[in-house]
Amino acid sequence: MIAVVRSELLKIRTTAVPWVLAGVAIVIEGLLILTIFLGREQRGSGYDVPHTTQQLRNLLGSGFQGYLLALLLGVLVVTTEFRHKTVTTSFLVTPRRSRFVAGKLLSAAILGVLLAVLMLVIALVAGGLTLNARGGSFSDLVRQIPAVVPGFILVFVLFAILGVGVGSILTNQVAAIIVSLGWFVILQGILVALVNSAYKWVPTGAADAASNLTRNTGNGPHFDLFNWWQGALLMLGYGLGFALIGSLLLSRRDIT
Amino acid sequence: MPSAIEVRGLSKQFGPVRAVDDLTFEVAQGRVTGFLGPNGSGKTTTLRMLLGLVSVTGGSATFGGRRYVELDHPVRHVGAALEATSFHPTRRAEDHLRSVALASGIPRSRVAETLELVGLTEVARRRVGKFSLGMRQRLQLATALLGDPEILILDEPANGLDPQGIQWLRTFIRGQAALGHAVLVSSHLLSEMEETVDDVVIISQGRLVLQTTLGELAGRTGTTTGMRIRTPEVARLTGLLDAVPAGWRQTGPDTVVVDGASPEWFGMFAAQNQIVLHELVQEKGSLEDVFLELTQGFDAAHPMGAAGGQSAPFQMPEAGA
Repeated sequence: MIAVVRSELLKIRTTAVPWVLAGVAIVIEGLLILTIFLGREQRGSGYDVPHTTQQLRNLLGSGFQGYLLALLLGVLVVTTEFRHKTVTTSFLVTPRRSRFVAGKLLSAAILGVLLAVLMLVIALVAGGLTLNARGGSFSDLVRQIPAVVPGFILVFVLFAILGVGVGSILTNQVAAIIVSLGWFVILQGILVALVNSAYKWVPTGAADAASNLTRNTGNGPHFDLFNWWQGALLMLGYGLGFALIGSLLLSRRDIT
Repeated sequence: MPSAIEVRGLSKQFGPVRAVDDLTFEVAQGRVTGFLGPNGSGKTTTLRMLLGLVSVTGGSATFGGRRYVELDHPVRHVGAALEATSFHPTRRAEDHLRSVALASGIPRSRVAETLELVGLTEVARRRVGKFSLGMRQRLQLATALLGDPEILILDEPANGLDPQGIQWLRTFIRGQAALGHAVLVSSHLLSEMEETVDDVVIISQGRLVLQTTLGELAGRTGTTTGMRIRTPEVARLTGLLDAVPAGWRQTGPDTVVVDGASPEWFGMFAAQNQIVLHELVQEKGSLEDVFLELTQGFDAAHPMGAAGGQSAPFQMPEAGA
């Protein structure tokens, strides 16, 4: 399995996918940090830089919504193979389709960690430097690492896994992207607006719970949430459940 | 000699279409087997079933008794070159091969070796999206060879190759057989394979027509000999032939082929009947004629409706060319 994952990682990094996503993550994270500091200046309150625990955690975890990039990453890792028909070679090398999906899950999880770390490092370095320059405390920001980082990374991994699950069911790249973004950007919001109690069950709610971030900062949406581990298990359940269905569908699929 | 590939009663149903129907044949170790049939006769589907890419409706295909999916690191036993298009355009040739090598525990040094073998060393670091069709074919072959497999399966490998490329491919395939490897190579043109194969498996409309050796097939060319006659008196000639009677077919406005006739017999016949001749040629059927006759005759014997019109490219054989 290690060999399959190493091969997968080589395949992925020789496509544009991870580099484009990393670029987007860097731009987004930069803009988020900018917004945090600009916003505070304009408000003209006594404090012009983040200094409370909540504010510092918000700064460090500002890229949290980037889990959608991790989702996209997972989707693309699978669907790119079908788009470019490289899946023929992949299945010749790894004829057991479940093994193929497992390799995708593991490599997407690893890339999910890297994407999370990338955004966290930018928040810590760029955010920390700006903070320092504005008279804030860099060490106070560093002190928030244990509270923010594990949940942040965990959620990115869970979303990357979910993406692989979705991609292995909907192997058409365009369809998979439209369905995933359509759910997270539009449908899920409508559902939660109609049924508030559904929030803790949908992936975003489960991820909120798993990250502990919104609970710790106290300014997230005020919906019921599961424990962090319950949320994590629920998200993992969605991801692995979809991957299992996808794996069964792929096992029946003729590659012509 | 043990069989490298055994196909037993292999069948594939695609909706209402029986693409492959109860196909049984063997591929021997150390020999090149041509897998021949018209376009759409089920060759590609059969090869993809062998390789576990297409599910099997009935029957089995095994390599030394084991199905492809049951092989441990299959690319180290069975090398396959299927399509010229299945590469990621931004991936470099070398990285493509490395990804296959990594997953199958093949040493990295094999990547450079196989690139050298197919003559792609110069473009190893080039993105495959910039490759010509011929270069993609070579990269497919390199992929197939990477694991130094004892069995090679090549689907229409000559497509997109220039004449030098085809010559190179022939030498390459013969070299593989000389190493004791088994090669199964598909083509819709027997003429393309004549100098390369030892055995032939001919299919038509998903069914086996014939499995034999090339030598045995060549022996059948005698059955298609005849005389080709060009004459301004086609109508009178055919009328006289019908009265004899002799088998004939008209192949052009002023051309008739008389089946099974010898020059001596026809010369006498023409002289006796005072027919004006513009041309008199003895025809020896080629292997291609035998192939066409076999696949056409088979179609007529087993009309299959679903794949109708496939014999269209196979016009009346213009023999002696």
